[in-house]
Amino acid sequence: MMARFAKSPEGLFGAAVLAVLIVIALGAPLFFPRDPLSIVGPALTAPFTDWALPLGTDRLGRNVLAGLVHGARASLLVGFAATIAAIIIGASVGTIAGFAGGLVDEILMRIVDAFQTVPGFLLALAFVSVIGASLPVVVLAIALGAWTGPARLARAEVLSLRERDYVAAARVIGMHPAEIAFREILPNALAPVLALSAVIVAGAILTEAALSFLGLGDPNIVTWGSMIAEGRAVLRSSPFLSIIPGLALVITVLGVYLFGEGLAEALSRRRVRL
Amino acid sequence: MTKFLVSRRTLLGATAALLASTALPRAAFAQDAVKGGRLIVAADSEPRNLNPAIVASNGVFFIASKVIEPLAEASFDGENGLAPRLATAWTGSEDGLSATFTLREGVTWHDGKPFTSEDVAFSALNVWKPLQNLGRLVFANLEAVDTPDPLTAIFRFSKPTPFQLIRNALPATTSVLPKHLYEGTDIPENPANAQLVGTGPFKFTEYKPGEYYLLSRNETYWGESEPNLDEILYRVLPDRAAAAGALEAEEIHLAAFSAVPLADLARIGEVEGIEVISKGYEGLTYQLVVEINHRTEQLANLKVRQAIAHAIDKQFVVDTIFLGYATAATGIVPQNAPEFYNPETPQYAFDVDKANALLDEAGYPRAADGNRFTLRLLPAPYFNETRQFGDYLRQALAEIGIDAQIANNDSAAHQQAVYTDHAFDLAIAPPVFRGDPAISTTILLRTATAEGVPFSNQGGYSNTALDTLIDDALIAVDEEERTALYNEVQVVAAEDLPLINVAEWGFITVARTSVHNVSNNPRWAVSNWSDTWIDG
Amino acid sequence: MHRAGKLVLRRLVGSIPVLLIVLVGTFFLLELASGDAVDAYLVSTGGGDAALVETLRANWGLDQSPITRLGLYLWNVLHLDFGYSVLLNRPILTVVLERLPNTLLLMGSAVALSFGIGSLLGIAAGSRPGSARDRLLSIGSLALYAVPSFWLGLVLVVVFSVQLRWLPLSGIETLASGKAGLDRALDIIRHLVLPVGALALIYLALYLRLMRAGMVEVWRQDFVLAARAKGLSRRRIVWRHVARNALLPLVTMLGLQSATMLGGSVVIESVFSIPGLGRLAQEAVSGRDTPLLMGIIVISAVLVILTNLIVDVVYAFLDPRVGASEASA
Repeated sequence: MMARFAKSPEGLFGAAVLAVLIVIALGAPLFFPRDPLSIVGPALTAPFTDWALPLGTDRLGRNVLAGLVHGARASLLVGFAATIAAIIIGASVGTIAGFAGGLVDEILMRIVDAFQTVPGFLLALAFVSVIGASLPVVVLAIALGAWTGPARLARAEVLSLRERDYVAAARVIGMHPAEIAFREILPNALAPVLALSAVIVAGAILTEAALSFLGLGDPNIVTWGSMIAEGRAVLRSSPFLSIIPGLALVITVLGVYLFGEGLAEALSRRRVRL
Repeated sequence: MTKFLVSRRTLLGATAALLASTALPRAAFAQDAVKGGRLIVAADSEPRNLNPAIVASNGVFFIASKVIEPLAEASFDGENGLAPRLATAWTGSEDGLSATFTLREGVTWHDGKPFTSEDVAFSALNVWKPLQNLGRLVFANLEAVDTPDPLTAIFRFSKPTPFQLIRNALPATTSVLPKHLYEGTDIPENPANAQLVGTGPFKFTEYKPGEYYLLSRNETYWGESEPNLDEILYRVLPDRAAAAGALEAEEIHLAAFSAVPLADLARIGEVEGIEVISKGYEGLTYQLVVEINHRTEQLANLKVRQAIAHAIDKQFVVDTIFLGYATAATGIVPQNAPEFYNPETPQYAFDVDKANALLDEAGYPRAADGNRFTLRLLPAPYFNETRQFGDYLRQALAEIGIDAQIANNDSAAHQQAVYTDHAFDLAIAPPVFRGDPAISTTILLRTATAEGVPFSNQGGYSNTALDTLIDDALIAVDEEERTALYNEVQVVAAEDLPLINVAEWGFITVARTSVHNVSNNPRWAVSNWSDTWIDG
Repeated sequence: MHRAGKLVLRRLVGSIPVLLIVLVGTFFLLELASGDAVDAYLVSTGGGDAALVETLRANWGLDQSPITRLGLYLWNVLHLDFGYSVLLNRPILTVVLERLPNTLLLMGSAVALSFGIGSLLGIAAGSRPGSARDRLLSIGSLALYAVPSFWLGLVLVVVFSVQLRWLPLSGIETLASGKAGLDRALDIIRHLVLPVGALALIYLALYLRLMRAGMVEVWRQDFVLAARAKGLSRRRIVWRHVARNALLPLVTMLGLQSATMLGGSVVIESVFSIPGLGRLAQEAVSGRDTPLLMGIIVISAVLVILTNLIVDVVYAFLDPRVGASEASA
């Protein structure tokens, strides 16, 4: 599988982008130990004019590079946390529904339907406005819009696995259905769900940026979306303030997608040979 | 227009000191006004209730003031800073128990009915006093309005009501409604609150929600040969960043109330055919205030409040957040209200060392991580500047070891958190000074009597001496005595810091140079625009 | 046709409990909020006093218990009465139906454009999988898919409206212009170029990649191999067999995308000041206009259900193999 992954240049590129970002995110406090929101210089310094502030400053005189580096932290954190939350919720619901069947299945799947008919971003928007903007709330809001995919996948997987030999065997030796579900089926169903996770991570990063852009991010941390929103007021006089974090977002999301592609290709049992 | 100049008491001196003089002077040579044309203006909100007699707020006035007129309007050179509108003269009695208004002749409502003192009496007793957010206070003791003839209205008060207060409140609180459309109806729900009928230079023509309001010329307006414009179109652009682009693309002619972000003004001022005007908001001064929850143990300590005052670099706030379009505050009354402003109040210079020393004295030493204690900071979401000041204040407090955690709420949640639940330690509010401290300023200091009212003292602050001064001023009929009381209020407030005034600002208008007679009175954006014209 | 009718009926009945869950969930979510419509109103009007606050709460029916209000609301919705918006003081159905066409126009154009161009490019990429052209198209479209829509919108505005002045920068049409007929249609098109372009560029990747993946799958199927053995030209195989069969998943994606698209409209309508459903939803949330937001969500949900229904019917026609059994519910 590793060897397969290494054969796809796109996947490798994605992995490289992610690796660099993770290093930046983890090292943020080392590179810029000060709060990135602290005011360090004259406002609206242009990029590449002052070596102490390589990417310049924003409207209040905050260091853009420090914001960018700390913003990577927020983006990745939100992306991964929301995805993990979505997959845990989705996989559990899907497994229970698939295994229990009958009325429980019916009810749970109706709830999944309900979540799929409501526009996810609208739900996240309402949720954050109502509960108040903080990092955990944003993560949960994004997860709320993303757990239905994993749920359906897990359920389908369970239904196909249910009839297989080892499940029947487990039943024979008297394992509790719930135990069977969580010990035998869940790990087996995880692979395809994981393939889906790259898409969810990318979506989560974009959703977080859009929420921050609309002013619904956590005000005590820097995020790329909030940097774009900050820069919007001076879009024409200092376009770099919006363009730099926007590019960071594009590169990050693209890296996640490509990594996911590579992963999916390596995981898929049938390689297309042409 | 009839003007009677008795003593010329101009506000301009104070104004010039207040505002960075970036306003380009209008062409000084007189031009003949061009008749006709459509003026397109950016509007950033769509008020639920457009009736200015019920909702006296700038968002409503911005549109409704062209349709429904007050008894008098603010003026740069009129007596006591007023110019006549529906009233041509006004006097108050010695004892403060009555006020007499002489009304303008030959005025008709947009539906053709004549305007009389009956309309004024009806509006005062049935709308301003019981229903209006500001009138409730100004006309609290109004008992009756006598109408001896169609052009005279005599207001009778049960308790002395200073005429100075009535006068200062005329522009904002006395929009007159047509009695024949409101009498016997459920006034707050009357359809005429949306489809306005007034006496103003423009008639309310059409409203398309989310898109525009269209006003058109009132052919029978009382102002000689006015209005100049055929139509005013308010284009709804809730998104502040869109207004600047729309001006440049010539999709709109004018954006008031700083719809163009301050950060964009320097650039847009350079654009051919566009000018940036900082005049015309002197009567609508907004104040940037740090509201303090005195229930919080640390903040009940005066030394801590003083430390916070010393930690704020007002000059930085003026230069960086307001880009010079504001002035540092010295107290609770703004400098461009010379009638009441007291320059002799205690001041708190920007001094981080002193602030740190005060906090040490107060018994809040820094812990190992450098923090003394944590506070909840709630910036009001209404303006970019209130949010940005929140970001700045968090950093300023970090310098003195106070960890301020910002909570950004939308307006409903902010209102509930601060004014109902009191779930805050520091909040940032932009109250408006409305020409007289009694109207909307002292409510920020006086012991609160009710919960859940925005822009009132909800910080749990209570000071009996201060309450007494405020209550005395409310019934002081003698102007000198009343002014002296307010001077005293300003000193006590600066000493005891129930809240901290940081800056005061007026808004900015950005207009195409084709628009003339812009910003020619202290409440221009919310006045009637009858003399405004546009190049053909 | 009898089969399709059955399917439609089953789906509609099945969507009733879904809508109920949506309604109740939304209602309680907004009940959690601090601050209500009266608070939002007071802030916008600059204050008042305690008596005014009480009067307003009573007038707007906000002083009753949440359960009472929910019950009343559901009862009214049964009669297709969505009530009055507390912020706009107008019937909700009217308000929503006023805004809906704008959003449908925006989304419909964007979907049509991205579907059309995306599937063509997908054919171009999938007809020679692994070629340089394929790589370029795949990566390029993915890069676009990684762009935040609001940011792309801002960049387009700066370039085309502010710098070049080719296109209007906001709104859906020139206001009160008195234009009608073809003039008006052209005017609306000019206003929609940028927002539709931004959305279409982003969603392009979805259809391109689905088409490509579908084609790669079909290439290896027996009937195509047989066609190749027969010596049919490559071009003919692509158009006659491969592309046609690869279209099916794209149709499914249309249905799945409908909810996402409606959500995405919030941000793009905010950037371009388009008076649509998305912006209305944002206003409803910040103004605590619970009935309005619920009205919007219910109507959005109905839209999504209907879209998926149409997609299912179309799918059943395109692919006879989908029997009465239906693809997974």
